[in-house]
Amino acid sequence: MKKRILTLSIALALVVTMLVPVAALATNEAGQGASTFSGTIEIVSKHTDDAVDIIGFPPAQPGTTVSWPFNFTDWDPATDPPPPDWQVLDPSNSEPVARLKNNSAGELLVWLQVSDWTSGVVVAEYYELVDTTDTTVAVVDDVLSPDGGAYMVVTNQTIASAAYKALYLEVDLSTTPGLSGGSLLTVLGSTP
Amino acid sequence: MAKRLFIKLVAFLLLAGLLFSLPSVALATAVDRLLLCDLEGHPGETIQAQITLQGTDAEERSGYWSTYYNRVEGDDERMDITSWITIEPEEYTIKLGENIVFAVSVKIPADAAPGVWGVTSEEACQTGHSAERRTYIIFKDTVSGGNVYSGMLIPVSVVVLGEGSPPASSEETGPPAPPEETGPQSPPPEQSGSPSSALDFIKDNIIAVILGVIIVILLAVLLTRRRARGG
Repeated sequence: MKKRILTLSIALALVVTMLVPVAALATNEAGQGASTFSGTIEIVSKHTDDAVDIIGFPPAQPGTTVSWPFNFTDWDPATDPPPPDWQVLDPSNSEPVARLKNNSAGELLVWLQVSDWTSGVVVAEYYELVDTTDTTVAVVDDVLSPDGGAYMVVTNQTIASAAYKALYLEVDLSTTPGLSGGSLLTVLGSTP
Repeated sequence: MAKRLFIKLVAFLLLAGLLFSLPSVALATAVDRLLLCDLEGHPGETIQAQITLQGTDAEERSGYWSTYYNRVEGDDERMDITSWITIEPEEYTIKLGENIVFAVSVKIPADAAPGVWGVTSEEACQTGHSAERRTYIIFKDTVSGGNVYSGMLIPVSVVVLGEGSPPASSEETGPPAPPEETGPQSPPPEQSGSPSSALDFIKDNIIAVILGVIIVILLAVLLTRRRARGG
């Protein structure tokens, strides 16, 4: 009996040890009068809830449209084997570049912001935002940046709490050869 | 039979502990308010408010605050009040579990006419009236090396009180606060723990606390039995 009590105590102590390092992080909170926190809209993988931090467009000929971007979480060209996990535009089997997930407790309106494309490599950028069940996206033509410059657009789309939307992107390249550049994409939420 | 049940109980407890200890999915930064609406003040006054960000991502994120005016054709001068707003500090770096408090100051010009500023109507900050909002503050951040940011637009509206209006009752009005003595790159110091932090700790770690109490009880029973035998 004594041995069982001791064994049970050791097991419970192990459980507490596993719990406390995660739980202890919650104690580092300010003693302010702030109420509940609201999460934001996050860009996540097409397949999991892993965050997407980088989106890339593969190189293409000057003056053409690049419709197959990818995110580095689902496929890293430097380390992952082919085939690449690109965006696919198709009337029946489309696949987005990434998904947006609403981490807040309420519905959020989606805004997209893009910074200037450096080097003038991109002359226009477009987006589509659809339900994740919609796989009929063959065209991406909602304007995000009409001239490769910095813009903020309100998509007029909302995402319910803990729900997802599929994000598609497309860029028109400059006709000048030998350019490369980048921009920053921001996904913002606001209360509807 | 009792021995088998006992072994199953121990195995279940260990498994439960493992499940509860698995890291949660990474989330972007959280904020404690989604609206900064109906701030009240007289011309020439500075309204002080606070917004807190909470780090919920397993990776450290870097970001900044900015103001934004959503220009719509036909807007008048009352819509863009971005020049009234300052946020300190502008830049931040936030880690998992960390809370950072930001000071938002809204300085009403001395010649501002009474009425609502920053939105087109008094109902603008109600749900379903997003088209009536014009001035926002924005925070956005990303992990190191990322080119994809996430954040929130928080609408701001100010009710400029007339000369005959009583002093604003909001906690957020008052004389200008002295500027913080931190550099532009430094986040403000974290707030010290309040007397209720112990209760908050218990609430946040209730499972660990209950298990700890059970351990103490079992050890007490063990010690009591030992003493009885020794006596």
